[in-house]
Amino acid sequence: MKGRGKWKVFRFIRILSVTPIAVPRWNKNIGFILCLACAIWFGTQLVFAADAGKLVEKDGRYVFVENMDPATKLLLERAVKQGSITQEEYDAVIRASQERTYQLQSSFKAWYDRGFNFSMNDNSFLLKIRGRFATRYTQRSRNDAWRTTGDSKDFPELLGVFGDYRANRTTNDASTFNLRTARLYFMGHLFSPDLKYLFQVAGETAENAQAPGALTMLDATVMSTHIPWLNVQVGQYKVYFNRSQINSTAAMQFAARALAMDAFTANGLNRRDVGITIMNDEEVYPVNYYFGVFNGEGPLVNRFAQFGSEEATVGCPGGATSGNPYPSPADCPANNRNLNANVRTAINQLMYTARLQWNILGRAGYGEGDIAYSEAPQMVVGGGYAYNPGLNTSTDNSFVGIDLANLNLRRSLALSGNGRILGQGIVDFSTWTLDYALKYRGFSFQAEYWFRNITRHEKGLPCLQTAVLGGPCTAFAPGQFGNSTGWSVQSGYYLIPRKLEVAARYAYWDPDTHSASDLIKELDVSLNWFLSGTYDHQIMVTYSNIAMGQGGFAIGRSAPLPAVGTSFPSGTIPLDVNAATLIENMIRVQYQIFF
Amino acid sequence: MSQVNVVRSAILLLALLMLSGLGCARIPYTTTMVHEDQRVVVMLQREITPAGYTHPVQITQQQVAAILRGFSLREQQRLPLRWHAEETPPTKIFREDEVEVLAPQLADALQKVGPEERVYFELFAPGMNPRYRRDVTGGWVAVHGQLLNLTIDYFHVQQPVRTSDPYDYNYSTPWTPAKTYLLYFDPGRFYVDDSKTDWRGVDFLKFLKNAPSP
Repeated sequence: MKGRGKWKVFRFIRILSVTPIAVPRWNKNIGFILCLACAIWFGTQLVFAADAGKLVEKDGRYVFVENMDPATKLLLERAVKQGSITQEEYDAVIRASQERTYQLQSSFKAWYDRGFNFSMNDNSFLLKIRGRFATRYTQRSRNDAWRTTGDSKDFPELLGVFGDYRANRTTNDASTFNLRTARLYFMGHLFSPDLKYLFQVAGETAENAQAPGALTMLDATVMSTHIPWLNVQVGQYKVYFNRSQINSTAAMQFAARALAMDAFTANGLNRRDVGITIMNDEEVYPVNYYFGVFNGEGPLVNRFAQFGSEEATVGCPGGATSGNPYPSPADCPANNRNLNANVRTAINQLMYTARLQWNILGRAGYGEGDIAYSEAPQMVVGGGYAYNPGLNTSTDNSFVGIDLANLNLRRSLALSGNGRILGQGIVDFSTWTLDYALKYRGFSFQAEYWFRNITRHEKGLPCLQTAVLGGPCTAFAPGQFGNSTGWSVQSGYYLIPRKLEVAARYAYWDPDTHSASDLIKELDVSLNWFLSGTYDHQIMVTYSNIAMGQGGFAIGRSAPLPAVGTSFPSGTIPLDVNAATLIENMIRVQYQIFF
Repeated sequence: MSQVNVVRSAILLLALLMLSGLGCARIPYTTTMVHEDQRVVVMLQREITPAGYTHPVQITQQQVAAILRGFSLREQQRLPLRWHAEETPPTKIFREDEVEVLAPQLADALQKVGPEERVYFELFAPGMNPRYRRDVTGGWVAVHGQLLNLTIDYFHVQQPVRTSDPYDYNYSTPWTPAKTYLLYFDPGRFYVDDSKTDWRGVDFLKFLKNAPSP
């Protein structure tokens, strides 16, 4: 019935549009009133007689089918002309016929339009099922430093229940096929179009994964859009913090985000988290806000997933650092348990995020290139702040191999490239970001800046070696961990509008401002062919050059290594003993289909 | 590749891209919005290459309506689908209610359009799910000599409603690009080719002279 209402509006607009424009005002008013009266008087009959029907999909095309059989309608019209029936009888039978058609039709409809759609006729429920698949071939060429030293600092591998560090070392060349994206989307609305839901299930494997991927829930979220200035989203989803992370991987200019982009997520662990966000409608308002509160632990977990060690006496650290004199309180007993990992202390902490965005021109939206070939410039600037306190990067200052490790958190940090922070005890992340995007006639430019302040709860330099278990401390880290900062710029141009795009990106990242020779620089150039003129079907060829400095100090990987007396649980030779800049040249060929 | 070279290459590449981005448009762009409402949009678009149209044209809405009623189409398919598709009879492009709303606006636009512009239009109707999609039939009209050319880009295509849909952060949905349709005109003797310009269109002066009065 809603469809009929729309048609009535269109008919009404058409009637209004025939009002002459070059007439005196009172005449115009009379004309308007007459037209309005006519519309009210005849409106129902006009609508039912001429326009009632519905849009149906037939053989992949959408066709408008009138409710009444055209042959019957023709005969009836002739009957009216010939005087066999009156106009009133004609109108009545038309209404009855259309009412009958409406009653006979099913109360739901199903069709394909960028996904399988199933909807109730009154639009109180919609389910859209979509699938996205991307497979990739990667050819890597790495320098000798990857073989001799490897990466033990930014993206280290963590082994066993102790989370011992392992350097990521490889031979020079690698050729791999990878199932980069395999996702199912279930989305739509419940009760009304203003209560939306999205579930996204992924079954893909990370490019450097050493184990098969498992099916996992990426998004599980419900969003209310009843109030345009106060939309509310709850569940697990991407945090609205920085542009590069909000952008969908389906709408990118390169086969993957830059390494630096993934390091500066709001929580420092993953672009997704569990929580709540309030925001306004980007379609309605040029200035948008996003305020969110999250667990700050990444997807599918909460603060209970991170833990520490404590002796039987409350407040006395367990694991390797208990006892006097360092760093336990003076009245703590001597250490009596090494492997406990028995206390959760940060469970009252949450992550807070804020993002503000100004659509200076048009609506640039999220997505990297200008596939829409914007006729007018689309320009947006935004910024965000995220505060994620109480991240336990190790069980106090415990030594690797002595206490049970906070594996989920540690591995999340390592996977996002924040591996240098591991071992620094409990830390607070304060992350700032600024971003800018411009799109115009196939051209796009996007820039982003990040800064992360890392505050250690433990004061003084991290203790690395003690004479005996529990102290005293005989060797400290050479310096405090600094801040992290980085930026990226990228630009693209559609050589053939909506079809063929060339893009380039440069990303710079300093993971520890107090360390030298640790910069990570990335250059990417990509040629993208969008086969159907949308993101749904594309082939990307991305060339990347990545240089990753391995200088600087990282706990458990650099000298001085953790030790108790003469026991060195991490070995006596640091992983970065031959540290050199790791250089990688890589070509990724990716095919994606979104259906 | 050394780091210095990498940075230099990146800066050079970005500079080239930015310069190329400032270049001219490569598809016709809108200059004037003639009419816009929920049902129909008519605008003037400037051609990117010299077109030499014989605009503006004095033509009534009744005459435009008569011409529109004669068009039918069939979507052009690639081989081997083309063999099958050509068995499908052409479909009338415009329903009567669509002609009624479109013809007056096209007639008005054809009187305003310049020789290097074309008249672009879109007809809207509620989509399969009106909250997210609308049904769009769109294309453009231009007059060259006495030939009136109609090109259809979209024929009842489902397009997103929201301007932010093309770059939605969950499922980016740009407009479905224009398709190629084979057009037919009834009576066919008025749908002719201009051998000099390779234009195909309705010889509208002859057609209107012969068309029965409404």
